[in-house]
Order: sequence, then structure tokens, then C-alpha cells
Amino acid sequence: MTVTHPAATSQPVADDGLPEGLADGLAAASLVLARRLHAGGTLWCASPSWPHHAQHVAVEFVHPVIVGKPALPAVALPTHELTANARANVRPGDVLVVIGAADDPVVRDLVRRAPAWDLVTLWVGAGTPPAAGAADHVLWLPEDEMAAHDGRFILLYHLLWELAHVCLEHGGVLEPEPECDGPVCITCSDEGRLVEVVRSSGSTARVRSGDGLEDVDLSLVGPAGPYDLLVVHAGMAITRLGAP
Amino acid sequence: MTSSGSFLYPMLDAPERDASALLADLARSAQAKAMESTTVRTTTMTSQAAGLDRAAEAMAAAFSAGGRLFCFGNGGSATDAAGLAALFASPSTGRSLPARSLVADSSVLTALANDIGVDVIFARQLIAHAQPGDIALGLSTSGGSVNVLKAFAEARRRGLLTVGLAGYRGGAMGTSSDLEHCLAVDAQSVHRTQEAQSALAYALWERVQERLEHEEIR
Repeated sequence: MTVTHPAATSQPVADDGLPEGLADGLAAASLVLARRLHAGGTLWCASPSWPHHAQHVAVEFVHPVIVGKPALPAVALPTHELTANARANVRPGDVLVVIGAADDPVVRDLVRRAPAWDLVTLWVGAGTPPAAGAADHVLWLPEDEMAAHDGRFILLYHLLWELAHVCLEHGGVLEPEPECDGPVCITCSDEGRLVEVVRSSGSTARVRSGDGLEDVDLSLVGPAGPYDLLVVHAGMAITRLGAP
Repeated sequence: MTSSGSFLYPMLDAPERDASALLADLARSAQAKAMESTTVRTTTMTSQAAGLDRAAEAMAAAFSAGGRLFCFGNGGSATDAAGLAALFASPSTGRSLPARSLVADSSVLTALANDIGVDVIFARQLIAHAQPGDIALGLSTSGGSVNVLKAFAEARRRGLLTVGLAGYRGGAMGTSSDLEHCLAVDAQSVHRTQEAQSALAYALWERVQERLEHEEIR
């Protein structure tokens, strides 16, 4: 089959292939997913509107249709108290795939909190896309909600599974990228890390971050309660995230 | 080294390269598979057009007469059955119809699987719930899932309308006398088959909605 690269045209390739950029997006997301699974992470799957899609992703990974492929840890999160279930179960280094519309309030809240839990986020959907940067990997179809029902969402997560397994067979690419190679680095300089409040007392809060639990100073942001999201710099909460 | 994934991605059966080369290969593979998916879905919709119309006509008539839809399948097909039941029962637009999935209740499924066997997990639920005039809709990418076939046999005994979505050109479902309507996908890959089955399921729902648009249902 001759494959025309979608970059050759400015029009989305909607009729016969993936829209521009989506194949690259799936490849990048699959590599990150494979790296985290290789390192012992779990794939958490959430879809408040279409719970069967979350379950379908999970069963692909846990019980592969192709004999000989390794079973991998993937779990569909229950839709009841979804965020609380995620908060209780996820571990640093896990991956979260959400399937839902850009305006789904539960999905928005979940992907917003995910960095505080050290999750990489993949967001699958169709129609109007979420804001840039809403998730680490936004895998989006331009069409309407019909894509959720007619097999196109299923295609996207089938591809995610297939590509992740290819990555897992290429051991050389599975080690994580070096995070920092110089004296000045945004990642390591403690600049603007997202944390979630566990509890607070006076001007101090015990918070959850990608590194575990830590105490932060609330002097600049005022009182904070459980599950509030704060941005922390050098042990000091410098701003509070509003509602999504 | 020959990787075990070479049958999926033969171009990757090469010495290890850096991630950027791998990523480019993965993106090309994704695009090729997406095109294959579109081809299978389009071909299926064309080859099954007449069967779709007949099945939708019969389902619409069953709903009009007060029938209810029961959906079932295993694994990925179980999730597709759940999705289809949800689409019929609570669509974002259109008419809500009585439909539910026989894979929704883990208590019932584990009780039946543990006490009797996995072959009867759907058939026994039909014995409990189904009435003549209801609809049994099962999915199987192999066309040969024993518990799906047993459910169709039970459904026919009870006077239900039977509709199947199958892969492998129908498999055992394609030749089963228990199945009044079998819509089949002809594809080698289980994944491409599932995607096309989902397209068929959506097309069924659309056609049923069209037929019931102006109808009073008792």
C-alpha cells in the first residue's frame, strides 16, 4: 500500500487515514506508554461518558488478542467516584488514558490533577479539541461524536496498543530520556511544580507531588483545603489553580 | 535479531536505531493501518448493506411491538456490546429504546461462570429475562464464541429475534440456523474486524432510529 504522508496536504486526511499530526501523536504517545510500562507503571483508563471504551483499552493490554504478546497492567477506572478512585490507586510513573469530550468536567479535572500524581496523560476524543497542553498527548479526531460509536475511537486505542508493543520489542529505546544535562534546567529547578493538598494546618500544607509527600508554605496563597491544586516553587506555594 | 513483532511491522525487523527513526516508522505504520481500517469498514458497509437494512427493519418492528434488546459478547466484544446497549438506551440524540448489556453485572456473570460454566453466561440470563419478541444481539470476532452461539440457540427457542455481528466471514455464526440476521466482516486482523463491527453496529442503530422516527411505541 502506498501511504501518502498527511503533511503533504493542508487538509485533514479524514476519509481514508488519520488527520494530520495524529499518526505522529500516536507514535510519541506509544513510546512514552511503553517506557512507563517497561519501568513497571500501570495504564489507567477512564471514560465517564463511554465506560465501555475504558474497559476495551484495558482488556486489550491485559489479554492481548495476538498470542504471545505479554499481558500488561491496564485498569479501567470505575465511573462512580472516578477521581477519588484514581487518587487512591495511581502511583508515580503510571499513565492515564482518558476518552472523552473536551468539555467533560470529570475528564478535565482528572487530567488537570494528573501531573501532581506524576502521571503522563493521553486524551482521546473527537470534535472540538481541548486547549493546547491540557494533556501530555492529545489524540484527536476532527469529526463529531459519531467517532465514539462507529469504530474510529477503537481504531485509535488499537493503534496505541499495537505501537506500544512494537516499542516494547525495541529495548534500546525504552530507557527514559535524560531529564537534565546542564546546570540550569526548568525541570530540576523546582520551577512551578503542581501539587495536590492532602491536609493543611495554619500556614503549612502537606501536599502530594510527583516526588511523594512534602510540606509547603501557604503564606502567599492563603488557606488551602484537601484536593486544592497549588503551584509550588522552592517549598512555597506561589499560586492556586482555579476550577477547570 | 528477529523480533516477535515482525509480522505486525516487518519494516521494524532491523537492528536497533534511535527513537526518532522508530517514531517515524511507527507513524507510517499507524497511517497504513488507519487506511486499512477505513478500507475494511467501507467494504463491510457495502457488502452488508442489504443485510443491514433487513436486520434494522426486523429490529424496528420488534421495538415497535414492545420488544427489548439484549446485547452480549466476550472481551472487546463485551465492551462493544455494552457500548451498543448504551447507544440504543441513551443516545445523545434520537429516541431512547429499551436495551441493555448482558455483561454489565459481574455478580450474575461470575455466579453463572463459577456454578455452571462460561458457556451459559448469556443463555441463562436470557432464560431469566427474555420474552418472545425481544431481540438478542451478539458479537463475536471469530464468529464462533460458544457462549454467544448458545445464547442464540436459547433466544430462538424463546421466540426472540436473533442478530449477530461476526468476523471471519461469519464463522460458525454465519451458518447457524439459530441466527436470523448475521452481519459479517471479512478481515484477517481481529482489530480491524472489531472496528468494522463497530461501524456495522452504529449503522444498525442509525437505521433503526430512522425507521422509528414517526412511530408510537407502546
